[in-house]
Amino acid sequence: MTLLQVENLSVTYTPRDLPANRAVHDVTFDIDEGEFVGLLGESGCGKSTLGNAVLRLLSPPARISGGRVVFDGVDVTTASEDELRALRWTDLSTVFQSSMNSLNPVIRVQAQFADTFAAHRIPGDVTARATELLELVSLDRHVLRAYPHELSGGMKQRVALALALALRPKLVVLDEPTTGLDVVVQRSILTRLAELRRELGFAVLFISHDLGTVLEMADRVMVMYGGEIVENRTAAGMLHEPRHPYTRGLLGSYADPRLPDVQVTYIPGRPPDLSRPHRGCLFTPRCPHAEDACREVHPELLPERGGLVRCLVAQEDRLPVVRLGAADAAATIGSHFPATGALTDPGGTPDVVAEAVLSVDQVSKRYTTRRGLRTSTTDAVRDVSFTLHPGRVTALVGQSGSGKSTIARLVTGVERPSSGEVRFEGGSGPTVRVDRLRGRALVDYRRHVQMVFQDPFSALNPTRTVAYALSRPLVNFAGLRGTAIRERSAQLLESVGLAPAGQFLDKLPHQLSGGQRQRVVTARALAPDPQVLIADEPISMLDVSIRAEILELLGELVRNRRLAMLYITHDLLSARLLADEVLVLNQGVLVERGPTRDVIGAARDDYTRLLLDSIPNPFAPAKRSGDASVVRSAQPGG
Amino acid sequence: MAYFARRFLFFIGTLWAAVTLNFLIPRLQPGDPAEAIVSRLAGQSESIDPAQLQAIRIMLGTPDGNLFEQYLQYLGAVVQGDFGVSYTYFPYSVTHMIGQALPWTVILVGVTQIISFIVGTLLGTWAAYRRNSRVDSVITLGSTFLGTLPFFWLALLLIYVFAITLRWFPERGGYGGGSSPGWSWIFISDAFQHSVLPAVALLITGPIGWIIGMRNNMVQSLGEDHARLAVARGLPRRRIALTYGARIAILPNVTGFAIALGSVLGGTVLVETVFNYPGMGRLLLESVSSRDYPLMQAIFLFTTVGVLVANFLADLLYGFLDPRVRKAETA
Repeated sequence: MTLLQVENLSVTYTPRDLPANRAVHDVTFDIDEGEFVGLLGESGCGKSTLGNAVLRLLSPPARISGGRVVFDGVDVTTASEDELRALRWTDLSTVFQSSMNSLNPVIRVQAQFADTFAAHRIPGDVTARATELLELVSLDRHVLRAYPHELSGGMKQRVALALALALRPKLVVLDEPTTGLDVVVQRSILTRLAELRRELGFAVLFISHDLGTVLEMADRVMVMYGGEIVENRTAAGMLHEPRHPYTRGLLGSYADPRLPDVQVTYIPGRPPDLSRPHRGCLFTPRCPHAEDACREVHPELLPERGGLVRCLVAQEDRLPVVRLGAADAAATIGSHFPATGALTDPGGTPDVVAEAVLSVDQVSKRYTTRRGLRTSTTDAVRDVSFTLHPGRVTALVGQSGSGKSTIARLVTGVERPSSGEVRFEGGSGPTVRVDRLRGRALVDYRRHVQMVFQDPFSALNPTRTVAYALSRPLVNFAGLRGTAIRERSAQLLESVGLAPAGQFLDKLPHQLSGGQRQRVVTARALAPDPQVLIADEPISMLDVSIRAEILELLGELVRNRRLAMLYITHDLLSARLLADEVLVLNQGVLVERGPTRDVIGAARDDYTRLLLDSIPNPFAPAKRSGDASVVRSAQPGG
Repeated sequence: MAYFARRFLFFIGTLWAAVTLNFLIPRLQPGDPAEAIVSRLAGQSESIDPAQLQAIRIMLGTPDGNLFEQYLQYLGAVVQGDFGVSYTYFPYSVTHMIGQALPWTVILVGVTQIISFIVGTLLGTWAAYRRNSRVDSVITLGSTFLGTLPFFWLALLLIYVFAITLRWFPERGGYGGGSSPGWSWIFISDAFQHSVLPAVALLITGPIGWIIGMRNNMVQSLGEDHARLAVARGLPRRRIALTYGARIAILPNVTGFAIALGSVLGGTVLVETVFNYPGMGRLLLESVSSRDYPLMQAIFLFTTVGVLVANFLADLLYGFLDPRVRKAETA
């Protein structure tokens, strides 16, 4: 039976000083009772706006400009606040993205449950009910007494999920529920979600940009592009026979890192600007199969091979044929999207390995925290040794809290190890003992070791131009003055693929896309001409469709400039694509190391296997549910 | 508990620094107060008789010994509440003068500050609750308009209309000539009559800052995810406004309010001057214009200590109100 009907829904943003922006355009779909529907798309495609419109949580300047949403016989778009309140949470609940802010920071978790029960006049003992709900999401009852800031991201997300299920709703809208969480934590939450759905039978609208997760979890998947649904079919159908070129492009960014040959692709270009009128198909500028008609005629969403697709070429059956089985999908998925840049893994045996530029020798770092009179110690890093070599990428993988970032701080000299040595051998002079540097010598050392940060949105000063961001290291480290700065900045931008540089120099960060910003951050790191580049999760904040692009850039820079790179990540697919060598870090200890293909293709350590099993893998959905117990025991409290 | 202990140590440290600066600053200034008095008594042109100077020094109790000995003496005197003799109100002590002025200010300014904060917070909450409605426009625009009026002009207007034209209230002073300070009904009602106009002047402008601050903070916290989720959870509007909006929005205002209360001790110079009100503000003005160093110094010290104590209390209160602060300090 149909639970949710969305009919010709449009949402328009009308900001005060900017042109109106139709974020969602003429969207129609249904969700049946108990159905798990995924909604997939890049950031800015309108998927969260659509989710908020379904919940009627849009706030100005966004408003529903057409169509309606009918939930269980009630027209949500026109219902009064009172009618809506009766529906809310009892039938229709939600979990927001990563829940960093979705719990009230000044009241305890218990009070947030109590609020919910009181609002819907549910009698009985709040503590008992809330404890029961927390058990559903594998959380201990002491969480009830905690304030949100005392919980980890994963725990907050579980609380949010428990809260969403509190009144046994018929539909839960999950908006990027695991984005920003560690893969292992993500895996355990998703596993629990799937189990709960089987037990309780609620329907789900699962909004995500993470195709792996969506395809693995959902019965049916809708793909959104430029505010429109471009494809809507069963998850299995989409996996085996994606019909929209955009869907195919997204699928191309996935691969199973364990396979002997790994290849991913990316979608060149950027999503359309929805504040301007468009003719023809919105995807045309990025589409490899576009024809003349695509530029003129706006395609309709029409039935096609058991699903719905909005593509003239697919509807007229002129797309190149692909019919892939789950087994060989990953190996060849990239091939049916002839993107300009395909990134293959370095593979093969490396060339002759040059002398190490940086050695980390039996390094440990112990933190002492004092609370009142009691002191407690944490061993963030224990007895870690590795070397970095020019022209090679060493990946450091592990969950959050495994000590990855501590190692980065030790290597850059921000912190000193409790024991062990960090030696830099790449300078012109004698070997530098990084763990003993201070003052001026430390500043001199840092020109050789530069960082690319995780979040390109906060790594650049929003009030300064790109030219300014690049000029700082050029003035401070390279000692350039006058017009030389601008010339060198332009060269740097071109070396990271932002050409012609003149277009970018005077832009402010907010005028650039996420991928472009990360390129600027990379250019800035290259400015002092470093020998070692430390990239701390450089792609985790970026859209899936452009991640491969940044990886490709980093790979090229390493090989062309003979940089030694320490690539810090929890994402084994990207490590597989970029790195020559992999170090697996678990609770501060290196548990496995070796050439990338050996470590990832044939992991020996349980922890490495846990990380590998946690990666959302649409190509092997059947084997997931069995892993749950392993995952939970390894991540108590999540 | 570590949070509160840390706050207390910080408080003691700042207090000591404030007391020491209060000792040092006048000594770093050029000029000698005794010479200033003599030259004022004798007229600018005449030469100063050393004996006269010595007499005045003894009379004023000007300290002797080196700077460090003076400092120790000063600390001892401060702890005992002895701030010396006022130059202008000789032979009254500074402590006596402050004791005379303080109740007037504490009652007038303190009470109006508290009322301003309560009224301002309530109006700000109401405006944010009814965001973009007529209520919001009236409150926001109205308070912005009143905030642009010069305070002294407003005060003079009140005097002109209600004291001079309508003769409803006395125009100046803290109490009339017919009554003398004491716990008599005549005096209290007389003092109340005198305090109405200054209080009204303070109450017109007082809540504006609280209104704007509260409204903006609350609009912001109501826009956050947890408040949107509360809407999705079907919580009643009023519950969302109070627990998910006002409860969070009031936090920064608590600190502001404590500091405002602390600075009451220094008085409000403008209002006390315009209404010729016998409080700390007027005393401060007089001490500055007549170079009454001991009095000035004592008033400054009072103000500083007031702000510090208030700040300390605000920190304690904040620790109770915002669980995040306690955690951040200990982590």
